[in-house]
Amino acid sequence: MTVFILLACLGGVLVGLSRQLNGRLSISTTPLIASFWNHAIGFAALTCLGLFVGGLLPAGAAEAPWYAYLGGPIGVIFVAAGSWVIARIGAVNSALLIIGGQMVTGVAFDYISAVPASFWANATGIVLIVGGMMVSRGRRKVGGSQ
Amino acid sequence: MTTEARNSHPIYFVGAFATGGLLTFMVHLNGELARYGNPLFSSWTAHGTGIIAAVILLLMVHRRRTPRVEKAPNAPWWAYFGGISGAATVILTSTAVNSPLGLSGTLALGLAGQVAFSVAADSWGLFGLPKRRPDRRDIAALGLVVTGAALIILFGRGAA
Repeated sequence: MTVFILLACLGGVLVGLSRQLNGRLSISTTPLIASFWNHAIGFAALTCLGLFVGGLLPAGAAEAPWYAYLGGPIGVIFVAAGSWVIARIGAVNSALLIIGGQMVTGVAFDYISAVPASFWANATGIVLIVGGMMVSRGRRKVGGSQ
Repeated sequence: MTTEARNSHPIYFVGAFATGGLLTFMVHLNGELARYGNPLFSSWTAHGTGIIAAVILLLMVHRRRTPRVEKAPNAPWWAYFGGISGAATVILTSTAVNSPLGLSGTLALGLAGQVAFSVAADSWGLFGLPKRRPDRRDIAALGLVVTGAALIILFGRGAA
């Protein structure tokens, strides 16, 4: 169990690391070029892994709806935007706002697709997130002084 | 407190928030693909279609713009390896999801890992990005967002 906990935490660390590296690359190139390399190198690595362990072309894959393949193009925009933002507002603010955006749209998405959800937990969660984003923005309105 | 650390233009904040919204759709679509195939196939395909999309976008952007003046000096070699880190994430998280932690536990712990890394990255200016020592307000904001996110992940989504 400890191993799985460590794996899950490490997964989050790697998300941050990826954003940090792509952000650094985008400073020397452009966010879109950084996103291209992110996908190209990731694709090469996953191809090697797939050839090694198998499962690159699973049987049921052909039945997936066409729109399921749009995750990749959306990912290109996501990585480019993340690289653009992290070089300008830093890792903490980027993480804070991206997590906030993901959670708020995720809850909205669940309600639209009628996934059963706990209203009070979600409502309280969104209030805390919006509050956190206001705290983070509030200081900046006074011109960056402490 | 450096001035560039407090770049306050709202467009960055709106952009970052909207990026989080994109993530919701990306996770959903990649999850659909993994349901029909498997997580490796999903990530592999997403990276492959991503390359195509990036090339199309780059061709569109570069046709319109005149070549830009060279920006910063060349990127260090390790800056090209963000994709490895991203690809490894898929493997770790899909392993953790299929453990007693489940999806919500994996998401919540991933959140913790991401927050710890971002605080360290800003504090020490890791991997070539500017150092931005997080102040008390940053930490308070982060605490609120993480608590809210944890509440949604652990008790809100699909729990009722």
